[in-house]
Amino acid sequence: MEPAIRIRGVRKRYGSVTAVNGIDLEIEAGQVYALLGPNGAGKTTLLEILEGYRVRDDGEVSVLGMDPGRERGELNRRVGIVLQRSTPMEGLTPREMLNFTAKLYEHPMHPSEALDLVGLSEHADRVGGKLSGGQKRRLDLAISVIGNPDLIFLDEPTTGFDATARRQAWEVVRGLTERGTTVILTTHYLDEAEHLAQRIGMIKDGQIVFEGDVEGLRRQLESETRISWRPPAGFDPSSLPAEWADQRTGADGRLSLPTQHPTRDAGRLIDWAREHGIDELNGLQVERPDLEELYLELVGDGSEAATVDGAAR
Amino acid sequence: MNATTAKIAARTLRLGFEYMKLNLRSISRQPAAVFFVVLFPILFLIIFSSLLTFELPFPEGAAGNVPVVTFSQYFVAGIIGSAIFGTSFNLLGNSLAIQQYDGTLKQLAATPLPRTSFFIGQVGTAMTYTLLQLVVMMILGIAAYGVELPDGQGWLTLIWIVLLGVPAGCVMGIAITAIIPSANAAPAIIQVPYILFQFISGVFFTLASLPTWLQWIAGLFPLRWIAQGLRSVFLPDVYKYAEPGEDWQLGLAAIVLVVWIILGFAAARFTFQWDRSG
Repeated sequence: MEPAIRIRGVRKRYGSVTAVNGIDLEIEAGQVYALLGPNGAGKTTLLEILEGYRVRDDGEVSVLGMDPGRERGELNRRVGIVLQRSTPMEGLTPREMLNFTAKLYEHPMHPSEALDLVGLSEHADRVGGKLSGGQKRRLDLAISVIGNPDLIFLDEPTTGFDATARRQAWEVVRGLTERGTTVILTTHYLDEAEHLAQRIGMIKDGQIVFEGDVEGLRRQLESETRISWRPPAGFDPSSLPAEWADQRTGADGRLSLPTQHPTRDAGRLIDWAREHGIDELNGLQVERPDLEELYLELVGDGSEAATVDGAAR
Repeated sequence: MNATTAKIAARTLRLGFEYMKLNLRSISRQPAAVFFVVLFPILFLIIFSSLLTFELPFPEGAAGNVPVVTFSQYFVAGIIGSAIFGTSFNLLGNSLAIQQYDGTLKQLAATPLPRTSFFIGQVGTAMTYTLLQLVVMMILGIAAYGVELPDGQGWLTLIWIVLLGVPAGCVMGIAITAIIPSANAAPAIIQVPYILFQFISGVFFTLASLPTWLQWIAGLFPLRWIAQGLRSVFLPDVYKYAEPGEDWQLGLAAIVLVVWIILGFAAARFTFQWDRSG
């Protein structure tokens, strides 16, 4: 099947800053795809190139078989967009906005169906300025889906939400995928990508640093599993076998050893402890870092913090 | 025109009308905007009319019985012109610049709303407000400032002046957003030409009292022609002798406005940006 999106060698510079630095990507139709990365990684720039808001400097882009640079008008009929910042027209209610928006499409859903889908029916007749941040976001979603699009772009759909509002928003996105809509979202929440997306593309400094599913990400970072314990005062780390020279000591004094073979290496550590007359490895743990920590490892900058955090847990 | 083109044109018009309704509803729920649109020109009319109470000079070249015209009467025509131009050029330019920078139009650009429908909706919005202002100011002018209801010919002129003047001002308002570097700069950049236009276009002063070179500059822009056309509607006919060329110059006014609409629309379509927020 033709992919919903095909990107080849896309670049975008702003003055001396390279926001997108040669990205290749294919996204299958019917998937939820998460572009994951820290702020300033180039997610929004890439998304806005796909949406047709920004002009790429170089490379090829095909969205639903069209070039968003040249065929934006046609593309707008089949694509829904939730922007990073929500700015509905002043003084209007969600129902009024949706009644208008529905008229722009050939085969729209009924406004009340869109309201139901995003869970905004109760507030459908409240003037926009009086909606909460989460309700405004739902209105954005409703506007983006009312034309029954084949593809939806969501730029940080839940940034600034509390935990409950985020879970509700995830439910809405899942509802969309049940309709067969392709969803491409950007997020810097790892758990969001994990909960929603079949595939993840991680972006750092304008480049894809990982592409695959969540399990693939775990496998890629398996080596980052750690065995850790709290050594007694005055313990000399250099007395450990040479193969564990890569240990680190966390802020709370825990010593952690990276391993690709957690079970085997835990056994070896215990053998080593017996041989050295250590009866108890205090607080011994084998941790497979959660995705959040993996993510920080992957994008580099956060690795120190991740070690400390992980150790403290 | 084949069937497809006709269908596209009908859709463009229909969506323009829908956008106008939405826009009007949105503005009508913002009391400050309504106040600005409707009451501002009226305040101007009241203040200036009470400040300036002289009679217009006798129109040289007129013969026979010449009725006296006060400045207030003259000013009613000018301020209506000013309101028409202000609602289209000033108000629209400002509101578009704000919406370009705050992302409102960015969101609209994600939908299949045609650009031309958007323009049609904006012109329709300005047209509606102009009609509202016109009614209020004509009532005020008749009740308080000795202005008379236009005759048959006058109504006709009034209608085409509005039908051409509003779109001419709108396309100028849309086009000027291209040179506005930020939302904060919008009022200043738009206000300066707007005030200057009013001074040189025969709103506050009679056109003939200006130096010729200023008359020429004013003649390049719509407001001068809108105001002159309105004077032909609201002043006794003999006062055409007080105008440059001793004529109301309605034919020339229509040509200038139509040229502005065509060139301005082309410029607006070409330069208009939905999103300048990022």
